[in-house]
Amino acid sequence: MQAFAPGIYPRSEALVQATRDLDRGRTSAEAVDEQVQRDLDELVRVQQEAGLDLLADGMLRWQDLFRPLLEGSDGLEPGPLTRFLDTNSFYRAPTSISGEPRLREPLDERFVAPLPGARIVTLPSPYALALGTGIRAKVLATAVLKPQLDALDADLVVLGEPFLAREGAAGLPELREALDALAGGPPLALQVTFGDAGELLRNGLAELSVEGIGVDFYATHAADVPQGLDKLLLAGVVDARSSALEDPQEIAEFVERLGVERVALVPNGDLQYVSERIARQKLARLGAAKTRRAKETAA
Amino acid sequence: MTDVKFETREIGSLAKPPWRVKAFAGRPIEEGDVAEAERWAQKLGLEGTEELVETLRKDELGKDDLRLIDDWSARYGLALLERAGLDVVYDGEQRRTEMYDHVIRHARGFEPRGTIRSFDNKYYSKAAVVEEPSIDGPYDVDEYRFLAARTDRRLKAPFTGPYTVVDWSYDEHYGRHGALGATAEQRADARRRFLLDVAEHVVRPNAAAVVEAGCDWIQIDEPALSTRPDEVPIGVEAFNASVAGIPAARRSLHICFSDYTKLFPHVLSLDDCFELQLEFANRDSHELGTDGADRPGYEALFLFADNEDAPNVGLGVLDIHTNFVEPAELVRDRVVYAAELLGPERISVNPDCGLRTRSWDVAYEKLANMVEGTRLAEEALNRAHAGSH
Repeated sequence: MQAFAPGIYPRSEALVQATRDLDRGRTSAEAVDEQVQRDLDELVRVQQEAGLDLLADGMLRWQDLFRPLLEGSDGLEPGPLTRFLDTNSFYRAPTSISGEPRLREPLDERFVAPLPGARIVTLPSPYALALGTGIRAKVLATAVLKPQLDALDADLVVLGEPFLAREGAAGLPELREALDALAGGPPLALQVTFGDAGELLRNGLAELSVEGIGVDFYATHAADVPQGLDKLLLAGVVDARSSALEDPQEIAEFVERLGVERVALVPNGDLQYVSERIARQKLARLGAAKTRRAKETAA
Repeated sequence: MTDVKFETREIGSLAKPPWRVKAFAGRPIEEGDVAEAERWAQKLGLEGTEELVETLRKDELGKDDLRLIDDWSARYGLALLERAGLDVVYDGEQRRTEMYDHVIRHARGFEPRGTIRSFDNKYYSKAAVVEEPSIDGPYDVDEYRFLAARTDRRLKAPFTGPYTVVDWSYDEHYGRHGALGATAEQRADARRRFLLDVAEHVVRPNAAAVVEAGCDWIQIDEPALSTRPDEVPIGVEAFNASVAGIPAARRSLHICFSDYTKLFPHVLSLDDCFELQLEFANRDSHELGTDGADRPGYEALFLFADNEDAPNVGLGVLDIHTNFVEPAELVRDRVVYAAELLGPERISVNPDCGLRTRSWDVAYEKLANMVEGTRLAEEALNRAHAGSH
């Protein structure tokens, strides 16, 4: 059993204030950089204390799941401000512009920060990146995501997929084709965030060519997980859209009932939908649930 | 047929003047802020502002000073809307911090849960419900009485709707237990109970007291209503619970920046809802014209044309997100198009939403043009009607 936290982590109140001040001309970009580093140091410490197996950098400079890749690519740009699912938060929707899509160069350390240990990296799923652009997911997988993946030194890359659960299983063939184009790099997991993956699981989600599949168990019924799942299950057992703190014992018992051999405990999506103070406590409980489950298994 | 006449009104909030913002934030008020207060007093024909100016120039502001500034801010908001020529007014929600926060800080059962990113470097505060919500007593009655004593125009009191309160809050009470692995039905049930409790124990008692104080029009604001299309039916149920038994002459519902197709047919079940005030201008062209092709932003009006039992339409004709001041002729054409499609008796005229993100100068110009454009539409329709006989 593992535990880790993919996705965008919330900014501390100090970083919130620093970025607000930057927008109002009351502080410098250097001062914001320094606060980002302090946030990152604290996030690493919190993950280590929680006993998480793979570290994440929290994507603290990512304005949304797509932005650095869009700004770093030809043929794409950040488009209109768009509501993220049914939240009260917004992102710039990927938009196609003239020219062949192409990642000009892999993202630098501002967007994939160095970490002191085994790590995960989160990138958008090719299906999510392509949605609404009119470009096939396989094209963006090949021209944008693949060069990025090849440049990564990661133990696992989690591809965040927030849209497919709502779009439906009809999108699976396009996703499958795109994931096939990503083979040969670091191990991949596809995480269906913030949505009911039941229909997708019944239509072959677990057969995609990735090492792991992520499921949000605050939207998906446990019975929808296929019997005998032979992939790593990224079990979304911490609700990143709720301020309520999970009970590690309840999580451990829930995971036992799932009956899946290889499980990684994760939040069900980006923790940025709660404040940093709450996210920190959720990470601690994620680690505590893993420890509790490990003890029960050993006993 | 009697002459066509459209009612004009505001929707929600105006920006707060810098002298009010700085006073309540404890920041120094500069001479330029005082000059702004004087300029607008002159423009709006407000008398007696000497006491405000004198207060703004004080080195330190006490509780009474802040109360006086709060009152004057409401008077300026009211006067701006009156001077722009609106038939139905309020105070631009000058006394309210923000539509969500205003409710949360007056209701019991909620606790703050920190700052969440809206987008980029923009953030908002979010609270969690931790017990069944309630209020100690109505909290908008004084605001209404203050305005009623200072205007002879009709007042329309806005109330943040229960769906928006629920959707923008965390739930640490209704769905707290058994959330992990819960069925969709269990989650929906928790959500519905939260929603109806806010409607019945927070929104309704407050709105009922304002009506009892004399207000005859309550507007429920639900910008989030169609965020989750499958929840529109319980949103409608919550509207009905919010206004049940309140003897207001008019109950209306404001929704914006949404896919209105998701509202039908559910909004046909709204109890005695006079109208839906909707945003359209944001989606429309700036070109003149009264054909469908000229007015792409108003396509959703066909939903109302197809449903004669639907509430009336509060027609949004001002884009609240830009400083573009809609010419009166553009407002005219938007109104004429809607009136020809639905019949003038089903149309009234308003901005898309609150103008709080615009400066007072821009908001005033937009509203004044809205009124002028509405008069032009009336003339055009009456002329056409006369010409047909």
